[in-house]
Amino acid sequence: MIISVSHLSKHFQIHKKEPGLAGSVKSLFSRKYETKKAVDDISFEINEGELVGFIGPNGAGKTTTLKCLSGLLYPTSGKISVLDYNPYSRKPEFLKQISLVMGQKNQLWWDLPALDTFILNKEIYGVSDEKYNTILEELSKLLDAKDILKVPVKKLSLGQRMKMELMASLIHSPKVLFLDEPTIGLDVLMQRNLREFIKEYNIRFKATIILTSHYMQDVEQLCKRVIIINFGKIIFDGQLATLIEKYDPSKKIKVLFSEYVDPKKLDKLGEIDSFTYPELILNVPNKKANSTASAILKNFQVEDITISDPQIEDVIAKVYLENKK
Amino acid sequence: MKKYYIIARNTWDEVFTYRASFVMWRVRNIIQLISIYFLWSVILPPGKTLLGYSQSLMLTYILGTSLLDSIVLSSRTYIVGEEINNGNLMNFLLRPINYFAYWFAKDAGDKLMNICFSAVELTLIFLVLRPPFFLQTNIFYIFFFICSVILSLFNYFFLNFLLGLIGFWSPEVWAPRFIFITVLGFFAGSLFPLDILPQAIYNIMKFLPFFYLLYFPLKVYLGQLSFLEITSGLLISSFWAFGIYFLVNIIWKKGLKSYTAYGR
Repeated sequence: MIISVSHLSKHFQIHKKEPGLAGSVKSLFSRKYETKKAVDDISFEINEGELVGFIGPNGAGKTTTLKCLSGLLYPTSGKISVLDYNPYSRKPEFLKQISLVMGQKNQLWWDLPALDTFILNKEIYGVSDEKYNTILEELSKLLDAKDILKVPVKKLSLGQRMKMELMASLIHSPKVLFLDEPTIGLDVLMQRNLREFIKEYNIRFKATIILTSHYMQDVEQLCKRVIIINFGKIIFDGQLATLIEKYDPSKKIKVLFSEYVDPKKLDKLGEIDSFTYPELILNVPNKKANSTASAILKNFQVEDITISDPQIEDVIAKVYLENKK
Repeated sequence: MKKYYIIARNTWDEVFTYRASFVMWRVRNIIQLISIYFLWSVILPPGKTLLGYSQSLMLTYILGTSLLDSIVLSSRTYIVGEEINNGNLMNFLLRPINYFAYWFAKDAGDKLMNICFSAVELTLIFLVLRPPFFLQTNIFYIFFFICSVILSLFNYFFLNFLLGLIGFWSPEVWAPRFIFITVLGFFAGSLFPLDILPQAIYNIMKFLPFFYLLYFPLKVYLGQLSFLEITSGLLISSFWAFGIYFLVNIIWKKGLKSYTAYGR
């Protein structure tokens, strides 16, 4: 077991302020504090080499969990073990094997080329020259970043900087990688490249990766397993396929009729999502999808028919909403 | 060890990226030195004494403190408070690196640069103005002068770091710093030699750490202190250095525990 978390909770004290100047003055003298349960009694385990998607709406507690896992936050209660270390002790041997990449943070020296930060990290992590050269070569090839290594960081675009951040975090080839929204603010092409890269890294280095993202594409293409968290609690932990099965066990059948049909006849087919001639969209339980489709083909004049899985976005939205009630 | 060397080197590189401001800043330093020099040469003409200081001693004292000021009292640790508040501290906690040592290395790079350039500038001033500076030739005083400067360096580094740690509890790290800088200007003796103050105040100041930042090293250099005064001064100064170091350590540990990594 690479990561094991049991009954982890992290509470914050936050103070609230009324808007405006009067509120500011008031808060000078008496501050109201409120306890926010950012993470509330969660448990999970992750095996070596797994690539797990950690998702949830804004403020669900994802980043807090990652920070606890990497030793940045001291848990209010509960136990965490990462690579058999207690993260909060932040032992050098532990830190040398992990990395946390946050899309909105940077560790690069702003005025200097990224290469300078890499060299510093090489020394900090005690990476040998030989190993450093190989990994630098490999990473810059994978990320297609050879040309920008020597450009001062401040001159780089967001996407280029993200690449450099990622490289800086991987110079020591960590065994455990926490990625907090690595694709935030990147264009479609860059997102795809980065996804490819993460996949590749996972396989090539047998790294254990936890990834958070609001882009469901990231999750869908990278992670077999997802953990969904909301209001600090885990509401789902399992295979992505199971999630879809559980929350939306239906398929959509889209039919394009070639001649007019009586709407009454359609009722028997199943639950109608929408019908505006000539297009019909049906929601059908998974098991009945094939039989329904063939019934349509048999009984109507059809120009085109498609069966599709539910959109992962829709499923997740459904999960979030269901949990709100 | 090499990592700290690279941090210092990167700090040099960083300064050199802004060539224009670097040059301006050096020019500012020279102008400051020259204007202080002329001011005091007028106030205190050759042959006269003021409060026990001859012109040569006073000039050496004033210019010496401003030089020490730019070397000893130049520390970038004021950024510590900001880094705590904007969450940048996380980058250091995540890597196997000592945050204190990181800043010390950064400061060392900075100071080394100051020393190099100040040396060049001072030589120029010397050649052009030929000021009546007091040159200490006694090895004994020079040795203790260097000791006291090193202690002063540590004292100031930890004091400044301590102020930065306020960031753990409050985002308002600047207000205390302004007070500190003002107090420092007075108590450290960068405005005037402290021994022109009434004896009672002077005696109290002797026990404060500020006394040992600028005034004490300069007095040692000028050879105006007895052996007993020097040793007791060095003792008090090292007492403060260790004391503040321990305090910083305790507060750092406490702060980290409550560090909730706001900022984002």
